[in-house]
Amino acid sequence: MTQEPLPFDHRPDPALGAALRRALEPEGEGGEGGHAAFVTRLLARVDDLRPTASWDAVLARWARVGVAAAVLVSLAAGYLVGRATAASARPSVAEALIAPQMPVVEVVLASVLGN
Amino acid sequence: MKPDSQPPDPAARIPEQDEAALVARVRAGDRTAFGVLAERYAGVARRVARAVLGDPDDADDAAQDALLSALVKLDQYDPRRPFGPWLLRIVANAATDRRRRRKVRRAESLDPALVAGGTRPDAAAEQRALAERLRGALAELSERRRLAVVLFDVEGYSHAEIARILGIPEGTVRSEVFHARRRLRVLLADWKEDG
Repeated sequence: MTQEPLPFDHRPDPALGAALRRALEPEGEGGEGGHAAFVTRLLARVDDLRPTASWDAVLARWARVGVAAAVLVSLAAGYLVGRATAASARPSVAEALIAPQMPVVEVVLASVLGN
Repeated sequence: MKPDSQPPDPAARIPEQDEAALVARVRAGDRTAFGVLAERYAGVARRVARAVLGDPDDADDAAQDALLSALVKLDQYDPRRPFGPWLLRIVANAATDRRRRRKVRRAESLDPALVAGGTRPDAAAEQRALAERLRGALAELSERRRLAVVLFDVEGYSHAEIARILGIPEGTVRSEVFHARRRLRVLLADWKEDG
């Protein structure tokens, strides 16, 4: 190792660095503690993450089906409400009175009670 | 990277344009590209984690968690900046979190004779003994000091890069590296005298 460094020496100390590197390297290189084994374990964990990711796809598919179903239900409901509204529409008193045929009894009665 | 801060093993560094391309491929879901990144950065991630945690198994777990976390958070990485410091910040944080979660720190037991600078083992065991002694010396440093000296002298990162990794001012990094080196030299002095 080099001698006492100057304060805030900006040059790496290769000897100290090499010694520290050896001290921090995992033991059993080539075995279970080896670099290759570490990367293999890591990539296996990446594969384990994939089912989690596929849930997103599943949810997205469900979301698409859900949106389509909601659109269909909305259209059907709109049609039914519109039809019910049209069926319940009654002619006004004036329309009933000037109509060519005789006004229905309840229209005349309603106009009297309303006034 | 300034010339004075080149890593001891420059081949370990990936050119920035290659890194950006690799990261783009990983983002696109290319598992092989992630394998290449993991292959290149596994060593430094494990050493940095071990500098924080001491225990090699804990360090490997922290390094794996950090690499997976980086994969999940890859959208947050700015490809205009070097990948290494971004990744190592995640590694350092993962190791620190793991250390904090540990109720009792499982420091590696040191041979008392080595700590006291006792008789030297035979030549075959010398390297292992020195490594053990260095780990003991590192363990006596504060976590930030340990990381600073490892990132600077072992991994070859510049003060500016280490400042980004540790989230501290560059001047503080210089100070930490200096004090760590001085402390390590004191602790190792008797070993050198024996040699």
